[in-house]
Amino acid sequence: MSVIELDCLSELCPIPLLRAMKELKKMKPEDVLLLHSDHSCVPIDVEKWAKGKNYPVEVVELDGGEWDIYIQKPKKSREGI
Amino acid sequence: MTQSIKKVLKKPWPFWLGGILLGLANVILLALSGISWQITSGFLLWGVGVLEWFGLDPFSWEYFSHFPVYYNPIIAEGNVFLNKYTLLNIGVVIGSLVATLLASQFKLKKIKNKKQLLFALIGGIMMGYGSRLAAGCNVGAFFSGIPSFSLHGWVFGAFAILGTWVGIKILVKNI
Repeated sequence: MSVIELDCLSELCPIPLLRAMKELKKMKPEDVLLLHSDHSCVPIDVEKWAKGKNYPVEVVELDGGEWDIYIQKPKKSREGI
Repeated sequence: MTQSIKKVLKKPWPFWLGGILLGLANVILLALSGISWQITSGFLLWGVGVLEWFGLDPFSWEYFSHFPVYYNPIIAEGNVFLNKYTLLNIGVVIGSLVATLLASQFKLKKIKNKKQLLFALIGGIMMGYGSRLAAGCNVGAFFSGIPSFSLHGWVFGAFAILGTWVGIKILVKNI
């Protein structure tokens, strides 16, 4: 299992979610995507999408308007992203 | 800070609540000032002011003869930089700033790279040009257009959805 970081600072919706979807496609099962964002709609948007897909997801609000979002690619990809 | 206050300040409010509040605020604004909420009119007037510094006289252009209700008072005695349209825009900035500070989420954002700068400039020019052809933006033409029972708000909405759909297709391909 490895952690892949995605720097989405200074990027607005829907770009971070689109980048996360593209990145998750390339990742191996059980890999974790760590997305950095400083746009308040991004954690909400990405969390909602990941929950809809049944991906384990965790949002951490940092200080000063930044968020870290962790998404794990499930063991068996039940469907294409 | 108790948990419930924190939730109100930090979490997004439901769409229906935001819609009701915006609608009410727009009615109050119309009753008190005689104009409905609009954004780009203020920026248009700033643009006029900048062009006037360079010796041009944009108010003599045909464009302004189409909207006498809006622009004649400004042409007659108003100031292109300090007027009710500018106040509206300052209000939006102050209101957003207060909300961001209350949520402890204020951050000065950087320009990420040259590509983002270029796309933002091109996008801004296209939106500015489009907003003049449509006589308003999401707010002036759509949000304030529909409650005025004008057909243009609905036409604007239909084409904004179409434009967003095309935009997303282009974005997905280029990301």
